Amino acid sequence: MGDFSDLLESHGVTRREFLKYCSALGAALALPLSMTAKIAEAIESDTRPPVIWLEFQDCAGDSESLLRANRPTVGDLVLDHISLDYHETIMAAAGHQAEASQQATVEKYKGKYICIVEGSIPTEAGGVYCTIGGRTAVDILKQVGGNAALIIAVGNCAAYGGLPAAHPNPTGAKGVSEILPGKTIINLPGCPMNVDNLTATVVHYLTFGAAPACDRHLRPLFAYGKRIHDNCERRAHFDAGQYVENWGDYGHRQGWCLYKMGCKGPETFHNCPTLRWNEGLSWPVMAGHGCVGCSEPLFFDAMMPMYRRLPNVPGFGVEASAVKIGTAIVGASAAIFAAHGAVTTARNWKKIGKAKAEAREEISHLNSDSDSEES
Amino acid sequence: MAETLNSSETGGGRKFECAARRFLYIWEGPIRIIHWVNFFCIIILSFTGWYIHDPFITSTQHPYIMGNMRYVHYLTGVVFAVSFLARSYWLLNGEYYASWRMFPNPFDKKDRHTFWTFIRYYTFLSKDAPHILGHNPVAVVAYIGLYALFAFQILSGFALWSQADPGGSLYAATGWLFAIIGNQWVRWFHLLVMFLIGGFFINHLYSVVLFDFKSKSGEVSSIFSGWKPDRRD
Repeated sequence: MGDFSDLLESHGVTRREFLKYCSALGAALALPLSMTAKIAEAIESDTRPPVIWLEFQDCAGDSESLLRANRPTVGDLVLDHISLDYHETIMAAAGHQAEASQQATVEKYKGKYICIVEGSIPTEAGGVYCTIGGRTAVDILKQVGGNAALIIAVGNCAAYGGLPAAHPNPTGAKGVSEILPGKTIINLPGCPMNVDNLTATVVHYLTFGAAPACDRHLRPLFAYGKRIHDNCERRAHFDAGQYVENWGDYGHRQGWCLYKMGCKGPETFHNCPTLRWNEGLSWPVMAGHGCVGCSEPLFFDAMMPMYRRLPNVPGFGVEASAVKIGTAIVGASAAIFAAHGAVTTARNWKKIGKAKAEAREEISHLNSDSDSEES
Repeated sequence: MAETLNSSETGGGRKFECAARRFLYIWEGPIRIIHWVNFFCIIILSFTGWYIHDPFITSTQHPYIMGNMRYVHYLTGVVFAVSFLARSYWLLNGEYYASWRMFPNPFDKKDRHTFWTFIRYYTFLSKDAPHILGHNPVAVVAYIGLYALFAFQILSGFALWSQADPGGSLYAATGWLFAIIGNQWVRWFHLLVMFLIGGFFINHLYSVVLFDFKSKSGEVSSIFSGWKPDRRD
């Protein structure tokens, strides 16, 4: 307890600010206000589990997201200063020392520590595409992740394979849940993940000793329970039928809906519109660019082309959309039947004329019959 | 009318006798109603669905147009689903021509023969096809395919709709689809199947008119009246 308040003080964070942060976290997790004290207690506790941050095939974007604050916030302190025992990018130790500290934590806190994974895991060619200290990513993940209390896969790469798994996926990149099925895994996809969601997930675990409720893709419902489209500030323009048609046109300058510019908000579950980025400053759609769907399992392939709503289909030429294939199907059937109709009519032309003549004759017979009946 | 029908018996010897010996009630009322409900649903769903895919009318003249289009699309989708369920009931419990008993039996030699006769007819390999009351066996197979497309459209449509409320019962009932194919591909197929149904529509319309000409069996009028001539001669 003493340690933590000292640390807050040394970073110029007052107790009041700390408690405010705790209640904000509670709000992010959709918990009642009465839980604030429990959250604060959990964060201050000395029994916090250590965190090991593994980095595989990635761009360190999630680490950037973690470190992006221009001044250390309480969230940074919780994650970075307090609990992180191993993080290749930001730790002081290097080489064998670093690996030794990682192994020490694994041994000492077996089954108790939190493992955060960033980046996808290559499986092709025996996993040689990503090795650290002579060990493959698969090997490290199975040992360090396998002995963790829970694994948090941050960013789309760690969650579902992300960009490295995009077609043709030369390294056989996979997400954590494919390497360690059955393990308690929380996915925080995004490109990168939003660090506030990571802090909230960690704090949820500290407070309740359990992972938050997740959806079928193992994403916490507090952060991925609603579609971007349904919480979007431009949603009213969507329903009204006001769309950006070109970049920089009138609608774009007016902040209209980006649906026709290929915004993937209608198929993406994330709390970007409510939580926003960079300390609540902005988020892509607010800044005038459509969502690219980075928190969905099908990112990257199915979310491309970036500026079209629906994906293209491989095997039907370079850019074949549902509309092109569909138009071809309808067009072909219309052409076939039109041709059949024309040919049939032409071939039976004489027959039709003959039938008409005979019908006329028949009708005149009928008429004469009725005439005779009348008389 | 009776005189015309039986003119051969009266010894008129005319060429243009009606080949029908009598008329049979083939399509029951509910089947015809379902057919036309489906027809109008498909027209409305295709139009509003296309608008949702590509909003070609802007709000200048019609405020809240996307909201209204989506409302009509969802409402029509519900009507279509009810119509689909009603048809499913008639598939199980309807009379012969509307029910599963009409399906060609692949283990029956005669059914197989009729099926291939129609395949040869449709592929221009033979000129004549026997007259069949109700659906011919190839048409039955086509309608089973269409029924599957309808089922997919309804399931995927409700699944996409349910994404607005992932905590709701609709999502619980249909969300499993997203575990099989991702939601972008659900959208993609939902759009593509519209075109497949469009292709079927052209085929269906042409074939009905063609058979009406060819077998003079009142194909077109039967879906309004329910009656078809019994002319298995």
